[in-house]
Amino acid sequence: MLELDGLTRRFGDFVAVDDVSFTVPEGHMIGFVGGNGAGKTTTMRMAMGLLAPTAGEVRWAGREMTRTDRRRTGYMPEERGLYPKQGVLDQLVYLARLKGQPENEARLQATGLLERFALADRGKDKLEKLSLGNQQRVQIAAAVMGQPQLLILDEPFSGLDPVAVEAMADLLREHTAQGIPVLFSSHQLDLIDRLCDGLVILNRGRVVANGSRDELRSTGRALQQVRLDHDAGWLRGTPGVYVADVDGTSAVIELLDDGARRLIVEEAMRRGNLLELKEIRPSLSEIYREVTA
Amino acid sequence: MNDNRVEKPWLIVATREILVKVTDRAFIVGTLVSVALIVGMLGLQIFLSNRTSTTKAVVTTSEARTFADQVGTVAHQRDDKKSVEVTQLPDAAAARAAVTAGDADVYLAKTEQGWQLTFKDSVSGDLKQIVQEQSVQDALQANATRLGTTVAELQRGTTVTTQILEGSEQQAGLAQAVGFIFAILFFMSALGFGLQIAQSVVEEKQSRIVEILASAIPLRQLLAGKVVGNTVMALAQMILYTGVGLIGLAFTDYKNLVPALSASVAWYIAFFLAGFLALACIWAVAGSLASRQEDLQATTMPLTMILTLVYVAGFTASGMVQTILSYVPVVSAVLMPVRLVEGSASWWQALVALLLNIAFAALTVYLGERIYRRSLLQTQGRIGYKQALQLTD
Repeated sequence: MLELDGLTRRFGDFVAVDDVSFTVPEGHMIGFVGGNGAGKTTTMRMAMGLLAPTAGEVRWAGREMTRTDRRRTGYMPEERGLYPKQGVLDQLVYLARLKGQPENEARLQATGLLERFALADRGKDKLEKLSLGNQQRVQIAAAVMGQPQLLILDEPFSGLDPVAVEAMADLLREHTAQGIPVLFSSHQLDLIDRLCDGLVILNRGRVVANGSRDELRSTGRALQQVRLDHDAGWLRGTPGVYVADVDGTSAVIELLDDGARRLIVEEAMRRGNLLELKEIRPSLSEIYREVTA
Repeated sequence: MNDNRVEKPWLIVATREILVKVTDRAFIVGTLVSVALIVGMLGLQIFLSNRTSTTKAVVTTSEARTFADQVGTVAHQRDDKKSVEVTQLPDAAAARAAVTAGDADVYLAKTEQGWQLTFKDSVSGDLKQIVQEQSVQDALQANATRLGTTVAELQRGTTVTTQILEGSEQQAGLAQAVGFIFAILFFMSALGFGLQIAQSVVEEKQSRIVEILASAIPLRQLLAGKVVGNTVMALAQMILYTGVGLIGLAFTDYKNLVPALSASVAWYIAFFLAGFLALACIWAVAGSLASRQEDLQATTMPLTMILTLVYVAGFTASGMVQTILSYVPVVSAVLMPVRLVEGSASWWQALVALLLNIAFAALTVYLGERIYRRSLLQTQGRIGYKQALQLTD
């Protein structure tokens, strides 16, 4: 389990990351969300030991994370690029060897990854000779070289073509299935919605939301969609009901106390028919907009 | 934690630096062209010194024939590639016709005042001088005999000889030539491989691959690998160039200089190593201060200035200035080997200069490593040297 505890980073008077704490449990995929300048990259750089925290601590398996732990962490920096003038296979092996993987093992893993991305015959080519999409696939392979025990990826999906997005998603899921914690940042909320077990929303350097999708959804106001076969205007006078919007026979309301639901059902049946009364589940982007507003 | 299975990271980095270089076509071509240039220059030297020239002279009298033969003997004594071929023709008109037609180079005839040389369109200075000397010699001989004395007696007290107190004349000329060559080689190699270090640092920084590297291995190891890899390549290339030069020299007229030069080249290689190392980490710093390749011109400025100074000093320094500079680190790499060739410095002086250079290299490696480590992960544009010294981890 990766634990970030009270991480803070100041650049002069500017507080880029302010008391950020969250965990990435074994086998969990956590999405890291926030606008530009929210502090995601700074947080990840601190987690990787590339930037010293002004305060706080990064822990792995319950103790302070060491260089050896980080050596076994797959990391993808925000602005990516490998060596353009080196052979694809060679640089994958090089990166893995620096992470401490023996050469023959690294070669085996790299060959396997290239086969998986249908790049087996391009292993000897220089990276710059590959199309942009294929270069991205090599980049993905680079992140998981050296049998990492933790993945920290800064915007791994940005700029990927749809096929590469799926390849990346599959690869990440395989890692979490093996119990490896994965933390990645992204602007693509739909992807996070689809892939992640939990998400952390950062705004101006602070964590403004942290939890599973359902947990986050339940923290916002629970609105109800009401559909009747008659005019919905009467809802406005009902006690315990806040009416957000009325449009002819339908309305969006908030139930302020437990008895209100029963009251509405009874009154609606008296006046005609109640066609629908259901909770509106806010999308992640709605939650995001709400917490970062 | 020590894991025995794990290879030394700096060694992995150094191996990559070397492999990338030796598989780079531009580098291979550049090295081969340089070797070809060295071989070509030596070959030209051999060709020029082996070229023989024969001057065709025509005469009309047997007296002139004897004289022309004497001139030919003297010319051959001075330069064994030169000779004079004499042909006797019936009269002056035929001789002039032969010169005009180009069948002969010169018509040699006795006049009342002495000898006359007739050329077609230009006078050969060499021949004119030999003829002049020879005619003076003949006249002296005749006059001496007439006065009952010898030529040697007449010439007593007119001999001019030269002497050089330190080393020999040949050494002085050689030292100058060697100074030029060492200065050029040092400049080219230190600049080329230095820039290579800076470029490879900024390449990693620009592509952010440095963040992957930095999370995997200590930056000190990354720097060490880079410096070691490029130093090995620079040294190998230098040994190749000087080796080819020395071997080639053994085939020229200067082959007697090879033993003395070899010792000097060995010193030069040792100095080059120390001098290159002294700058290597600063080149890496220059790379780490830049954030894009375009910044390199500004961040490498101090280094190119130092190298230009070394270059200029190699060509121009002499006397006291040369003696002082031959102990100054980096500059000493060119000047001390030159002084060794001249014979104006002894081995222990060279050793002192070398040790000073190594001490200086240790200092720049120490400082360079600190600045490199701190500025490498800074991403907000170009950093100044002063600013970099103040950075903290």
